[in-house]
Amino acid sequence: MKKKLLAVLLAAGMTLSLAACGGGNDTKGGSESESSNAGTEQSAETEKESSSEEAEASTEEAAADPSNGELVDGKFAETRKIVVEVYDRGNDGGSDPTNNMYTKYIQDGMMERYNVEVEFKGVSRWTEVEDINNLLAAGDAPDICVTYSYPTIQTYAAMGGVQDLSGYVEDYKELLPNLWDFLGETNIYWDKEPSTGALYAIEARRASTNRIATFVRRDWLEKLNIPEPTTRQEFEDMLIAFRDNAETLLGADADKMIPFSISYDVGWRAATIIESFRDPDITDRENYINGFDDRGITQEGTKEAIRLLNKWYNDNLIWKDFALYGSGDTTEGDLQKSGYVGAFIGNWDDPFRNGEDSVQLNLERLVSPDAAYIAVDCFEDSKGGYTKYAYGSTDRKIFFPTTNDEPLASMLYLEFITTPEVIEYLQIGDEGVTHNKLEGGAVEVIAATGDAIQNSGFNLDYTITCNGLQLVDDEATKKSIAYSYSGIAPELIEKADKVANTDARSSKNVQVGTIEAEEGIGTALGEKRDIIYDNAVIAPVDSFDQVWDDGVADYLKSGGQAIMDERAEKWVATYGDVDMLPE
Amino acid sequence: MIKSKSAKFGDWIFVVICVIVGLICVLPMINLLARSMSSTDALVRREVYLWPKGINFDAYAMVLGDVKYIKAFFWTVFLTVVCTLVSLTMTTLCAYPLIFQDLKGRTTFNIIITITMFFNAGTIPNYLLMKSLNLLNNPLVLIIPASLSVYNMIIMRSFFYGIPDSLRESAEIDGASYFRILWSIYVPLSKPVFATLALFYAVGRWNGYSDALMYMNNKDYYPLQLLLYNILNNINSIEVATQEGFSAPGLSESLKAAIVMFSTVPILCVYPWLQKYFIHGVTMGAVKE
Amino acid sequence: MKASTKKPSAVQKKQNFGVYMKRYWQLYVLLFLPMLYLLIFKYVPMIYIQIAFKKYSIVESVWNMPWAGNNGFEYFIKAFNNKDFINALRNTLMLNLLDLVIGFPAPIIFALILNELVFKKFKRVIQTVAYMPHFLSWVIIYGLALQIFAPSSGLVNMVLNNFGIEAIPFLNDSKHWVATYIFLGVWQNFGWGSIVYLAAIAGINSELYEAASVDGCGRFKKMWHITLPGIKPTIVVLLVMNLGNILGSGFDRPFAMQNNLVMDVAEVISTFVYKNGIQGLQFSLTTAVGFFQSVICVIFLLLANWISRRLGERGIW
Repeated sequence: MKKKLLAVLLAAGMTLSLAACGGGNDTKGGSESESSNAGTEQSAETEKESSSEEAEASTEEAAADPSNGELVDGKFAETRKIVVEVYDRGNDGGSDPTNNMYTKYIQDGMMERYNVEVEFKGVSRWTEVEDINNLLAAGDAPDICVTYSYPTIQTYAAMGGVQDLSGYVEDYKELLPNLWDFLGETNIYWDKEPSTGALYAIEARRASTNRIATFVRRDWLEKLNIPEPTTRQEFEDMLIAFRDNAETLLGADADKMIPFSISYDVGWRAATIIESFRDPDITDRENYINGFDDRGITQEGTKEAIRLLNKWYNDNLIWKDFALYGSGDTTEGDLQKSGYVGAFIGNWDDPFRNGEDSVQLNLERLVSPDAAYIAVDCFEDSKGGYTKYAYGSTDRKIFFPTTNDEPLASMLYLEFITTPEVIEYLQIGDEGVTHNKLEGGAVEVIAATGDAIQNSGFNLDYTITCNGLQLVDDEATKKSIAYSYSGIAPELIEKADKVANTDARSSKNVQVGTIEAEEGIGTALGEKRDIIYDNAVIAPVDSFDQVWDDGVADYLKSGGQAIMDERAEKWVATYGDVDMLPE
Repeated sequence: MIKSKSAKFGDWIFVVICVIVGLICVLPMINLLARSMSSTDALVRREVYLWPKGINFDAYAMVLGDVKYIKAFFWTVFLTVVCTLVSLTMTTLCAYPLIFQDLKGRTTFNIIITITMFFNAGTIPNYLLMKSLNLLNNPLVLIIPASLSVYNMIIMRSFFYGIPDSLRESAEIDGASYFRILWSIYVPLSKPVFATLALFYAVGRWNGYSDALMYMNNKDYYPLQLLLYNILNNINSIEVATQEGFSAPGLSESLKAAIVMFSTVPILCVYPWLQKYFIHGVTMGAVKE
Repeated sequence: MKASTKKPSAVQKKQNFGVYMKRYWQLYVLLFLPMLYLLIFKYVPMIYIQIAFKKYSIVESVWNMPWAGNNGFEYFIKAFNNKDFINALRNTLMLNLLDLVIGFPAPIIFALILNELVFKKFKRVIQTVAYMPHFLSWVIIYGLALQIFAPSSGLVNMVLNNFGIEAIPFLNDSKHWVATYIFLGVWQNFGWGSIVYLAAIAGINSELYEAASVDGCGRFKKMWHITLPGIKPTIVVLLVMNLGNILGSGFDRPFAMQNNLVMDVAEVISTFVYKNGIQGLQFSLTTAVGFFQSVICVIFLLLANWISRRLGERGIW
């Protein structure tokens, strides 16, 4: 009786589950294979110029062919519908990301221009990966998706969940002038797979490539009569001076003195130092092979840079608690705002962000009106310059899941959202409501209310092809940058901008196809690297070598070496035995 | 006389221990309370430990003045009450029949139940299930999936085992139906365990947010903790800020603390109210062993 | 006296069944809803556990996914070949055992102490206060812990510095971190955990205490002979269930308390899976690890239950 009951229950369970799951996930292989065929036919070579010439001929045919576009006078005959992903940040006091002034603007514009109905689907910014997983598995993903991680897209593509866009960008090129103009071939073909020609994502463009700068306390330099440091040694001497003169600088709070502060992410927060130890003439090949880790753990020179930090830590020049606080903790920021920190490295505009809440304004309020962090260049490389790595022109990746039935409408959406006037409106809104025009054409952003609130900086959640202020007029854009930091003295921003751009260089795009060793790594190697850096910095000076060497050996064994080897191999396979990329 | 003196002394030892323990527990709450009433500047300078500095109630004004929080508060209260009732019922329905040794299939039922305690398929399969049941964005998704906790059921059943068989047997002899026995004997005698489990379920629902995060997009049905989670995350992601080239406008520290207070204090008040059910010796008076 | 050895005939069996059902049908009715719930919400998704043995594809239905290499054990082998996984496994075991040894008795002791309190109002206040820590999320708790225990800016260490004593690395040294981790776990849970025991104590017949007083028993004798035996079933049940969870891993607590300096002891299975499985989109690996955990948990539970029955207690069933 017992066994029978069990059997009956299990059978019932299986039947029910079959009924529940059977209908859900059919293979959506159809459209994907069609478009990838088109892709391979068209782009066999890696030379982009000739392939686009070739494509133009076929595009003309395509545009004229009504079944391909179904556009009459640039509009669809019947209304199409697409769903676009938008980040939901759950901002306190924000507007509803799927329904506000900006979504209305987009929806009206798309309807009028192309007869396409647009619906926005909110995806939580914090659980983005899990949410997209769920949606893809359920077949509910939006038609246009956005993510920062290309390996994620590759993984989905390997499972058959992502469409190949190469056909669309070529076939509909005439219909996408703004897209091609703004993103250029660089960004559109950035992720093209060389062997198959498949294009699984389009890269958005980063309007400002400023990345990093070093900041020191100008008022402390004045108090101690020290000039701004211009070399590494001068910087170290300055830190020692801060440490030894804590009483003069901080009075009763002398024991809270922190000459130099970093965070658990040492590779980022000491980037100008690390990058200065790297060979300024590093070959593209060397750079690429070691480029999986964006904090350079396997790059030459990094070990010595960390050794320097280790020396400073043991000399009490670095904040003792740096490794304990996680990425969201405000402790370091609070210490900066309270005026205890002499120097730090970070985003080029770190002290100026967030208006009233910015480090700079807090300094002025809590310490003294003269207190300021000023950007300096003092980490010279072996040739005397101040090499630093800036962001590439790429930003977010846009992809279409295979459930997208309206690829043309979606491409036209991207075209619409890249139109300069549309970008400008989304970023600065209506005059008097969300911005003021100043003399010289500069634009000043003012705080909005209600529906007009931007949930993200310059509304980048909507301008998915653009990150950063991009007005129709380039000059006005430049002038406006300084005014986007309300309340901050413009000369501080200009100095920081200058430093961020001095000797700045970006890593070039390398297209050798999928690196299998990188699949499934996720954040594991990056976290390992942070652990290695942190432990190396706090180690006693004599143990540094051992801690570092052991750590790096573990890193390599856990997949780092495999990645480097495969990169080296694919490099030769694609470019031959050369050291620099073709110009 | 000696006995009562030493008893007194022992009593005081316990009191001292409890006071120390109590302090360790309550000081962090005092810290949060102080923070919620302090000025941002004082918090940035880390000057606030147990006493607020720069006292102001702006944070509370903001929270109480924001309709979103008030709405979420009442919705969460309603949800918690409903969930607790549903869960208690479901748990009782499951625990009671399983105390009968003669029940055929009892072992099978036990196996079925225990397996679910350990084997869990993960987020995607659960998501797909909710989708196919049309529960996504439906407030029922916050009530039904969590309605039976096997862990709690086992606790309840263990408690039922403690109720003497003789009570039940005499009722059976009198011809009472099993429904009647449950209602008239077990339920009244189980007040302590009902109170305990009600507390467990209520707190679980009040503090829980991961199911709403996954399955609910409609902001009107967000539990209070999910709002808090979103807010804390907004200022907490420096990685995101670096990626995106900007950071979200900071939420003041005092507002954070005020929100924590706002979402914690209500549920803290539930326990004292339930305490009266933990009465000594309510049950056993009926049996003369 | 033995009952009749003749096997009941088919007709008799049916009659027996009918008699049985007539008597017990109500219980099955009561069980119907819970069983339906379990079937739908627990067993249906379990179909997906086979992902542990297959290569996951986000667009395919579960039945169509290809089997993984090595007779389906590819991902299990992958996990066990990963040194970090073995480390996480070891840490999970170690931290859970410490939690059990130190954290399990704490609520019991606290419940016993509370029970001894004479001043009723005071008892209520302490009870309420004691379970406050349970309501704080681990992110907040870690933030508070840093304020107190950080090496240079933590309260305790600043005070120590004032007296010239060197800072204690509560959170930045592996061994100290484990102690802090366990301590905070106990702190957060002892008040809440004592609730079940208080409820059980409430179920003890007060006449027993009166009788003991008459016999001249002191406070500790009463505790030993009445209270503890009275709540023994509860203790055993909870112990068995906790033992069964020995390889389980909460996520919030280790995740919030980890920092890079102590990762050699702070990485547990759940955080490992989060970083490698979920962030790395390795669904099959995630499910395989989860399946492994589940199997171990079942084994431990059965073992613990068997031991408890051996010692004369009723098992959890």
